[in-house]
Amino acid sequence: MTIAPENTETEVPEGHVKLVVDGEEVIAPEGELLIRTAERLGTVIPRFCDHPLLDPAGACRQCLVEVEMNGRPMPKPQASCTMTVADGMVVKTQKSSRVAEKAQEGVMELLLINHPLDCPICDKGGECPLQNQAMAHGRSTSRFVDTKRTFPKPISISTQVLLDRERCVLCQRCTRFSDQIAGDPFIDLLERGVHQQIGTAETADIHNSASHTSSGTPFQSYFSGNTIQICPVGALTSAAYRFRSRPFDLVSSPSVCEHCSSGCALRTDFRRGKVMRRLAGDDPDVNEEWSCDKGRFAFRYAAAKDRIRKPMVRDESGELVEASWTEALRRAADALVAARESNGAGVLTGGRLTVEDAYAYTKFARITLRSNDIDFRARPHSAEELDFLASSVVGTTPEHVSYASLEKASAVLCVAFEPEDESPIVFLRLRKAARDKGTKVFHIGQWTTSSVRKTFGELLACEPGGEAAAVDGIAEHAKDLDAALSSDDAVVLVGDRAAEVPGLFGAVTRLAERTGTRVAWVPRRAGERGALEAGAVPTLLPGGAPVSDASARATLETSWGLDSGTMPAEPGRDTAAMLAAAASGELDALVVGGVDPDDLPDPAAAREALANVGFVLSLEMRPSAVTEHADVVLPIAPVDEKTGTFLDWEGRVRPFSITLEGTGALPDCRVLDTLAVEMDADLFTQTAQAAWSDFSRSRVVSAHQGSNPDQHSRPAASTPDTPDGTVRLATWRQLIDNGSLQVEEPHLAGTARDAVLRMSAATAERHGVTRGERATISTERGALTLPVEFTDLPDDVVWAPARSPESIRSVLGAGHGASVALSGGAR
Amino acid sequence: MTQVPESTVFDADIHAKATEIIGRYPEARSALLPMLHLVQSVQGYVSQEGISFCAEKLDLTDAEVSAVATFYTMYKRKPCGEHLVSVCTNTLCAAMGGDAIYKKLQDHLGENGTPLGHEETAGTPGETGSITLEHAECLAACDLAPVLQVNYEYFDNQTEQSAVELVDALRKGERPQPTRGASLTDLKSVELQLAGFFPEDEQFATDVDGPSAAEETLRGAKLAQERGWVAPAMRDEETR
Repeated sequence: MTIAPENTETEVPEGHVKLVVDGEEVIAPEGELLIRTAERLGTVIPRFCDHPLLDPAGACRQCLVEVEMNGRPMPKPQASCTMTVADGMVVKTQKSSRVAEKAQEGVMELLLINHPLDCPICDKGGECPLQNQAMAHGRSTSRFVDTKRTFPKPISISTQVLLDRERCVLCQRCTRFSDQIAGDPFIDLLERGVHQQIGTAETADIHNSASHTSSGTPFQSYFSGNTIQICPVGALTSAAYRFRSRPFDLVSSPSVCEHCSSGCALRTDFRRGKVMRRLAGDDPDVNEEWSCDKGRFAFRYAAAKDRIRKPMVRDESGELVEASWTEALRRAADALVAARESNGAGVLTGGRLTVEDAYAYTKFARITLRSNDIDFRARPHSAEELDFLASSVVGTTPEHVSYASLEKASAVLCVAFEPEDESPIVFLRLRKAARDKGTKVFHIGQWTTSSVRKTFGELLACEPGGEAAAVDGIAEHAKDLDAALSSDDAVVLVGDRAAEVPGLFGAVTRLAERTGTRVAWVPRRAGERGALEAGAVPTLLPGGAPVSDASARATLETSWGLDSGTMPAEPGRDTAAMLAAAASGELDALVVGGVDPDDLPDPAAAREALANVGFVLSLEMRPSAVTEHADVVLPIAPVDEKTGTFLDWEGRVRPFSITLEGTGALPDCRVLDTLAVEMDADLFTQTAQAAWSDFSRSRVVSAHQGSNPDQHSRPAASTPDTPDGTVRLATWRQLIDNGSLQVEEPHLAGTARDAVLRMSAATAERHGVTRGERATISTERGALTLPVEFTDLPDDVVWAPARSPESIRSVLGAGHGASVALSGGAR
Repeated sequence: MTQVPESTVFDADIHAKATEIIGRYPEARSALLPMLHLVQSVQGYVSQEGISFCAEKLDLTDAEVSAVATFYTMYKRKPCGEHLVSVCTNTLCAAMGGDAIYKKLQDHLGENGTPLGHEETAGTPGETGSITLEHAECLAACDLAPVLQVNYEYFDNQTEQSAVELVDALRKGERPQPTRGASLTDLKSVELQLAGFFPEDEQFATDVDGPSAAEETLRGAKLAQERGWVAPAMRDEETR
């Protein structure tokens, strides 16, 4: 009989230490904070300033514990949120130490001395860490009998964030978030001692002399809403939500953001059928615990007064009038059948659809309209882009490139992509990677934007339209970048602006093949990636197989239950071609879902097409430039009122279920299914669930994915010379602008970046523009006048925001890379 | 990036001096404290423009600069007089008469029966003879208590009477000689020195290089020496 050795010592793995917490022996990784070690044991030490995603601060002193090192007790209780574990440490939390317990009570009493007892009217009351922890760890009564410190309340530190200084416990979560995570240190600790307070340059008590021209910057950040959410007391509140409801009256529903392709998990809180607020959800793989202000605040569009809730048809007098579903569907079905039997109908789906809805449009086009004329790209697009999407994007999953791979990458190259404006959570991850992990971030763009600065990045400046040549020139002119991209974990991110640069996708493909780097496409809108996968493009079937592939069509015909050979074999028209065909009478009808003509490559031509085409069916939420021309308008549900799935830029599946039930609003897939029935076809997309399972079953994966000979042969176009007196335009959309989903939210709009015209001082001088005045860019189509700001743009290049305040394409009929005239002297 | 409006306040010389200050440090933001003194040497206080100037030069935000400017009492946030009179009211000076001196000066410099408050100015800020009064934390001259400073130059062993005479002289535009150190100038000139730019004349060098220990400073040490007193040895580490 063998006797087991007496040795009960636990083995301490490499890189770990052994310590005792509340009498329990525990192994912890080196560098772990005591507060986390205790958490792993199930002991929650009270805290305010500690946040796992922020650097330790030790600001609030609430997490005091007793610590013994090498058999000697430390003379005073220690902050467990800043002290890391060490071998042989003995830690006693409030569970086993009266000293720790008393220290925590003391700190709590101190914090409460100046904290008002206004919980019954405070937004945070009911979900307040201070309230909860005061109940759990504080003394039952306060010994403080004097007058509490008060401040004028609240002060507005931006249009959307309000500050009640007397509620603040100075934990500095907000300032640390803004500095570390967002890179916008526009909020800081002011004053000292008993007067210490959070504030901005605007709120600082500094004499403003008469000669002074501008007061300090307000808290301008795309991420400022996060500070409201992480404030452990009610000091920071949202202007939009303040005093609107109590947390315990709200019902919370997990949701997914519908704005950009970041795919943020959100939490939507509603009460009595109305969404009251949205918060960032907790998803470590995607948005961690953050969201951008657009995702957080821009949800009121769904409750807009002018929301379309009933079908409408155009009567004999040309007015849109409300109609029954039966009548509207009948009218639409008749017109679409007639169009199908004549010149055909095209489908423009926009970039905001769920996968299920996009799939319904795909089926509707292919089966009901018997056409491949469908395109989700309601923005400048190109055939090269479609080839690239088909060869390099469709079918990719987070295993290809994910948020985690950005964080792990040694180098990331952003091409024609402005992360902070176009995909804010990608931006946050790039910043985190650069700040914490030393990832080198390179940007091929025009000027040192905030994305470049805040990712500690390096700008490779080129002319707008010259991005392709810049990418091709990397091997020769940027040897360090070339070497960095050759490492296994490097990533290239391409934005959807790349479609405006001839030859750029070819250049990126060549770069990827030469260096072996992975390429990911980051579109601006939440629905683009899903629509691509669902086959809402003229050349691809659901799953990514080409339309021209007979066997893929045959497979799809079988799964869709169609007769053999009934699927249209010819690739369809893209958005621009459909609009041109509609304008010239080559198409008889358009089915349009959630498209704003101002986003299209040529808004004027798009409006003309909508006006001229025989029949327009619009599936919309609110009146738009499309419904103006529509013959039939069918109301559809916003995300809160439906179930669905987005695919984020990684290709990650982001399902969400309905938040507000029973509103009667129908998702696009249901409306199209019913319309198809009117046209004697079955789409099997009555519900999102049905559409998803049909989609999963029917997707036909491309046989020759990953190679695209066309791309290689496409040379990088050299930028044409700019005619005398003109300059080249660089433009993209800012995160907060006049997009249609941002209506009815003035607080958010107040934090939009100023619309300015950027140019170098030399360009300004050459074109007679002086600093501080306004300048005008113009084409034959129109002119746009904006204040001038000097920026490090290449000479003879100007930058203007694409949709703030107006759609630059609508006004100028020109976009990124175009030649425009520049003149100064405007008042 | 925040664009700073073209400043009319800070001329080319100040821009050059800022560049020089920044050049002294491996990291630009380390230059913030002397930079704030520099802007104070121009306007006599730190203005919003001064804050934006520092922020622009050091690649900080206005909020970050405001945080520092509002933390330190040496940065004044409203226009100051020609001179800054700081009366020490920390324990020792207070007990030796500092509190009384401060109160006396408040009443003396106040108008219409209203005593002059902390960091308030008698006269028009910037004009000759104007005085900003403040009570100060320890001025590090307990041996010569009670002390006050004019533009950070010491006036030792003060009384209510001597302090009133001093401010009266300052109000008349005179510049009495401090007890020790350099001759009296004005607040703005001293701020330039605090930013690290010193007058080049020999007199100034002689003044600041003079002995700093007074009779009172060494009195205790002398007494101990005479009587053979020594400090007890440091306690052994083990017995703690």
